[in-house]
Amino acid sequence: MTGAQSPVLEVRNLTADYNGNRALTIDHLALHEQELLGVVGANGAGKSTLVGAILNWSRGAPRVSGEVILDGEDLSRMDTPSRVKKGLLLIPESQLIFHSMSVAENLAHHASAADAAGRHVYSLDDIYDLFPNLANRRGHLGGQLSGGERQMLGIARALRLAPRVLLLDEPSIGLAPKLVLTVLRTIRQLADNGLTVLLIEQNVKAAVEVVDRMALLERGRVLAEGAAAEMRDDPRIAEAYLGGHAT
Amino acid sequence: MTASRLRPFVLPVTAIALLALPWLLGGANVVFSACVIIAIFAVMSYGLDVIVSDLGEVSLAHPVFFASGAYTTSIASSRYGLDPASTLVLTVVVVLALAAAIAFVTLKLREFVFSLVTYAVSVVAMTVAANWAFLGGSDGVTGIPAFEFAGFRALTDRQLWPLAWGLLVVVLYLVSAFRKSRLGHAAMTVHLNPALARMSGISPEIVRMKVFLVSAPITASAGWLYAYQRAYISADVLTPYFLILMLTAVVLVGRRILLAPLIGVAIVVTQERFLSYGAYVDRIILGTLLILALSFLPRGLYGLVVDALSMLRRKKSRPLDERQEV
Amino acid sequence: MNLAQQIINGIVLGHAFALIAIGWTVLLGVARLVNFGHGQMYMLGAFITWFAMSAWGLPYLVAIPLAMSVGVGVGYLMQRTMLNLTIRQDLVSVMIVTLGFGYVIEGAAALTFGSTGQILDTPLSLMDIYIGDIWFTWQDIAIVVVTILVFIALKYVIENSPVGRRVRMVAEDPKLAQLAGINIKRVYLGVFAFEGATVALAAAMVAPRTPILTSMGFEEVIITFVVVVLGGIGSVTGSYLAGLGLGLFTAFFGAYVSSAYATAAMFVVLIAVLVLRPGGMTQKMGGH
Ligand SMILES: Nc1ncnc2c1ncn2[C@@H]1O[C@H](COP(=O)(O)OP(=O)(O)O)[C@@H](O)[C@H]1O
Ligand SMILES: [Mg+2]
Repeated sequence: MTGAQSPVLEVRNLTADYNGNRALTIDHLALHEQELLGVVGANGAGKSTLVGAILNWSRGAPRVSGEVILDGEDLSRMDTPSRVKKGLLLIPESQLIFHSMSVAENLAHHASAADAAGRHVYSLDDIYDLFPNLANRRGHLGGQLSGGERQMLGIARALRLAPRVLLLDEPSIGLAPKLVLTVLRTIRQLADNGLTVLLIEQNVKAAVEVVDRMALLERGRVLAEGAAAEMRDDPRIAEAYLGGHAT
Repeated sequence: MTASRLRPFVLPVTAIALLALPWLLGGANVVFSACVIIAIFAVMSYGLDVIVSDLGEVSLAHPVFFASGAYTTSIASSRYGLDPASTLVLTVVVVLALAAAIAFVTLKLREFVFSLVTYAVSVVAMTVAANWAFLGGSDGVTGIPAFEFAGFRALTDRQLWPLAWGLLVVVLYLVSAFRKSRLGHAAMTVHLNPALARMSGISPEIVRMKVFLVSAPITASAGWLYAYQRAYISADVLTPYFLILMLTAVVLVGRRILLAPLIGVAIVVTQERFLSYGAYVDRIILGTLLILALSFLPRGLYGLVVDALSMLRRKKSRPLDERQEV
Repeated sequence: MNLAQQIINGIVLGHAFALIAIGWTVLLGVARLVNFGHGQMYMLGAFITWFAMSAWGLPYLVAIPLAMSVGVGVGYLMQRTMLNLTIRQDLVSVMIVTLGFGYVIEGAAALTFGSTGQILDTPLSLMDIYIGDIWFTWQDIAIVVVTILVFIALKYVIENSPVGRRVRMVAEDPKLAQLAGINIKRVYLGVFAFEGATVALAAAMVAPRTPILTSMGFEEVIITFVVVVLGGIGSVTGSYLAGLGLGLFTAFFGAYVSSAYATAAMFVVLIAVLVLRPGGMTQKMGGH
């Protein structure tokens, strides 16, 4: 599937500093067409910083530098909204929906045909087919939803904005085990339907079942990267998966 | 290392130099007059500086403290013949009561809500001053006698200068002592880390109340001297000019630098007295200074100078001396 | 002074207050911003209208959009200057900067228009209506009608239009709004331009009721504070009702107690509201 074609999203020499402390050093990372890449690593490894840096976005204020290339186009000088319009859609770790707006209103905001530039804008019907729960709760406020529903709504919001690449920051955090599986399967399905996805996941055991490739992040660096099947047997992954602290 | 050993001498030497300044600048009456005004307005601004730089809130009610000092002094001296020492004591008493009332009402309010209410206090004070007959209404209070105490008589700005200087030095000492005091540290803790403050048993409300009670008499004492200097007080002391001047003085040069408000006031008053383009243009200049300082110089002129200097001597790339918060 | 006359006065005054406060309602409640130069922008709108009519001989209906355009320009310029403070949500600095702008506007207005009081007469303000011993003018009717129309339009736009939704998204969570592809700078600039336009409209409508002075902005803004606080921060309907209530209160207080202390009385109302529900203001802000 990854083949020899050029990557969809490519990141080069990406660094991020918080008050002069380096939190991220990525020499190279690539996502290929229709690929589901899992990014794993311990708490504080720099996973959120990585996806934030790809969009030049953060709730903190890191200093970011490096190259972000989407379909051959260099986005490095663009601000966050422009990158979003190019199809980089991040569903952040927390506060991922608008709480004071209803589900329907959260979903009302969508990409214009001009911004979508030919990419698929999921219609409301598509969305409600994919997430029947949201259809039932369309009149509820975002703040009234359960954790799982919020994740669904977060993903659904992104789909309305014509994604080229979907970046998900720990969508399964705090969810009941059964829900984790549902969420991950939905993500797998989106990749199968043609989206390119970067999935941050702490639950390595569950992630390795659905991702195509996996990258292990530690102290802001990619420590290991490879096909899911290889990575499953990697001792360093086992260590991270056990929650041990590599030194 | 020598710098730290010289530190205790900085204040006394600066103080003496300040006293001699008007003479060094030629000793003309306009120079004395400007220096007296600078000293009075600087004292006025130091009261606000303590609230803004240390407590981290912006009180817009400080013109009221200034005005209450001016009104108390003018009424007590002109109608009841009190001497300057008594009017000063009375000023402090009145302003403490006023500050306690305002602080009490706004105790739970934060940030711009606090500012909004204190701003309203200023506006209401102005309408009260302009309408209440006891305060002279729109005519104001006239007939304030010359400053005369224990054989010392000061009528002209030249005679008032040592007094204004003395008040300024006392206030500088008070502010620096406040910053070293337990209350000063508590204020900074409340400002920078309210959660930590609560955990260390500091009540933000009580600290706030106390800082207010320290700050208000400082600003009011400027009003006390201003009454003698002007010999006439009206609701004009509550016009936005004083508020804008104070705010500019506090933010222009830099936060938590002892001499910053004095330098800020000196810059503004010097422009108005010696490089004036007419009252309206001067207003535009003052307002613009305030806007630019906050929008583009988060660390004030001091930060600008520090950055410029460190750009010049970039030979050794030493880390910046970050003595103040941004 | 009969009762019916005071009720009419209060209703007109109330609509005037609501119209003056509408820009702040959107600023504070919808976009979490403040503008202490609001009163001076009101003053500027009044003087531009007056100048356009008396010096250039423009008709009232042309002077209004002209004043509004200047308001848009001033609002835009203000926000452009402090955009970084806004994006950092440094409300305290925003507040002081807007105070500075108010001061500059006042100086500039005094320089341009002089510091003497003026009367802004419009064709409508000169047309009286008598019903029994009750008196009002066509200007008063225009104030009520325009205010109601503006409030209905605003409520509709905020709640039902894409633009309103964007503004609410930025207000609740500017960071998340960026991830939805919204250019928050543009929204902040737009909201300030809107504030400039509406306060100028309010000035053109309301200022004919009283003599205008370049120094009137300092006090004018208090009315807005009280309306916005009383209305429950950012609630459009709340602001309308608060304006109306405050108008009636002011009319009766002015008629039966003292007109000089009307502002002071409003302030007491403000304090009472804040002290009675101290958390009320901050709790309602944003949706965090
Ligand atoms: N706002 C911030 N200010 C300072 N340091 C931060 C901030 N956010 C994250 N960091 C630091 O950056 C590193 C990476 O954090 P993060 O990307 O959130 O990790 P992860 O998502 O893998 O848990 C951590 O060491 C964290 O302490
Ligand atoms: Mg994270």
